[in-house]
Amino acid sequence: MYIDTLFSIFALIAIAGSLGLVLFRHPMQSALCLAVTMISLAGIYALLSAKLIFLLQLIVYAGAVMAMIVFIIMFLNLREKDLPEERERFTYLIGGAVLLIPVAWFMIKVMKSIPGVKNSIVGNGFGSIKELGQVLFTNWLVPFEIISLLLLVTLVGAVVLAGIRRESND
Amino acid sequence: MHDLVSFLPLVITCTGALLLMLYAVCPKAEQEKASLMSMGFFAVAFFAQLLVVCTVSRPLFPETFNGMLGVSGFTNAACLIVYACGFFTTLSSHTYFRENHFATVEFYSLLLFSAVGMVLLSMARELITAFIALEIMSLAIYVLVGFNRASSRSTEAIFKYLILGAFSGAFFCMGTAMIYGAAGSTRFDSIAEWLAFNPATTPLMLGGAFFLLITIFFKISAFPFHAWVLDVYDGSSNPITGFMATALKTAVFAMIANFLALSGNLHDSWITGLFWIAVFTMFGGNLIAIGQDNVKRMIAASGIVHSGYLLIALVAINSEYFSGAVIAYYLAAYSVATLGMFAALSWLGGEGEKRVTFDDFKGLAKRQPLAAATIAVFLLSMAGIPPTAGFMGKFYIITSAISAGQIALGVLGIISSIISMWYYLRLIVSMYFHDAEEDFIVDGSSLASISTVALAVAVFAIGLFPLVL
Repeated sequence: MYIDTLFSIFALIAIAGSLGLVLFRHPMQSALCLAVTMISLAGIYALLSAKLIFLLQLIVYAGAVMAMIVFIIMFLNLREKDLPEERERFTYLIGGAVLLIPVAWFMIKVMKSIPGVKNSIVGNGFGSIKELGQVLFTNWLVPFEIISLLLLVTLVGAVVLAGIRRESND
Repeated sequence: MHDLVSFLPLVITCTGALLLMLYAVCPKAEQEKASLMSMGFFAVAFFAQLLVVCTVSRPLFPETFNGMLGVSGFTNAACLIVYACGFFTTLSSHTYFRENHFATVEFYSLLLFSAVGMVLLSMARELITAFIALEIMSLAIYVLVGFNRASSRSTEAIFKYLILGAFSGAFFCMGTAMIYGAAGSTRFDSIAEWLAFNPATTPLMLGGAFFLLITIFFKISAFPFHAWVLDVYDGSSNPITGFMATALKTAVFAMIANFLALSGNLHDSWITGLFWIAVFTMFGGNLIAIGQDNVKRMIAASGIVHSGYLLIALVAINSEYFSGAVIAYYLAAYSVATLGMFAALSWLGGEGEKRVTFDDFKGLAKRQPLAAATIAVFLLSMAGIPPTAGFMGKFYIITSAISAGQIALGVLGIISSIISMWYYLRLIVSMYFHDAEEDFIVDGSSLASISTVALAVAVFAIGLFPLVL
């Protein structure tokens, strides 16, 4: 019973955080809202007995990634006058929301079709580092290996786009 | 052993990408050498791919990879197209960067990395693997689009493409989650098993496939998601635009054709949707293309139209004996003509891509008869005039649509291809029936000119090549 209540609380906080992310004007406020969403998502993972994902969500996303984002915003040192004037932003927001109504309606229909399953506590090892590691390195070897290529491409790309370029050789 | 041979071209490309990445930090690295090296890697990978003989679809290393990658005749053809596109793109880049000095060694490394992503995407038999492959490909392409940091158009292009691409990528994840919720697996074979006993119109499955298709339609610039394509193609350098228009489209089409061919059940539930998307893509693309004055933007818009023809082929595929031959053939025909156009543009474009509009090519036939003739061949192939490859490709697509009972779609395809002659012939008219206003002095011995001529020959070769895939 109280699992459902906890889920509702986390879900509501997550939605409130993402609304704040979109609606606040200053990037720093938006970033803090994003942190709130990340933490409440970690709560939902914990409810699903996904222990390792819960930890990673807190350490990597709510911790490292958010710290990085906040640092970047601080480096940029944005003031009120640096922010672009968005006079018609609410018109765009409402327009976008209207366009999304059919999609949302469709999503609600899909969600309603999911059969209700009673919550039950899954096995002891579920979601632990050992169990997850075993699945990851046996069944899911290919995605795990090609993720390394993805990170490499990102790294090279970041150097190319932001790094110092040597003068052309000719 | 078979698996190793099938996997070898991918290993070669990947090794090439890594070696070039390491070469880039070497203090004496030169981008000309790097371009020759990547040409070599693409060529070796292409010939290694030719060795792969594969008639039936089978998983690659089933024990180790757990059925997440697979090969089939169609996948082989798609990989061949990707490697060939990579090879010819490197040839044009070699020439292009003689006059536009912003390339570094990393450019070629990223080109190879994106080819790795494309090949993985066409081999993927599992949705998460497909997503990661899609992102490897897209991230490398984003960087290649924004490579010229000094140009504001290029920066605008990468910004638009990156934001919209990341947004559309999120739909793929959402769709994967929903399909997992329905079928209990993200592997294609398990999904096919599930679909054999359950209707594909189960809300979760329908929703999942819907979100996957949103991402795919974005990547191939099909109708409601085509708005980015003009600015992005226009903002990136000529060789990269050619690579994006051909290799990327090939890989994405290979993936979605593999997915839709999973079961007749799934395919049937999307026929009506695909029908309308194909029609709107063809005619919307034609309308946009007619209004363009810039050759690059015209080719970009005509790329939308060609996606429409390929969607016709998707409507007509048959999951009972899916070979994808029609799609692969059309992709090859389209890739040859488009790559040829961009090779010619890289050859003639000049410094800072100064020759871009229809008027800039006035009288080209009088000064550079060979270049004008090859461009005319590519345009005629895209318009679908016999005996070029484009004609045969369109012929196969329309006959396959008619034999699948989609007569209306076949007729609309013919009408669209007649409309498209308007803007293809306009460039030919401007090249042949006007007096030259400038001398078109270009370096005649460049590699792009060789690749242009080779591709023009390929247009006829593929056109005369019977459908044996």
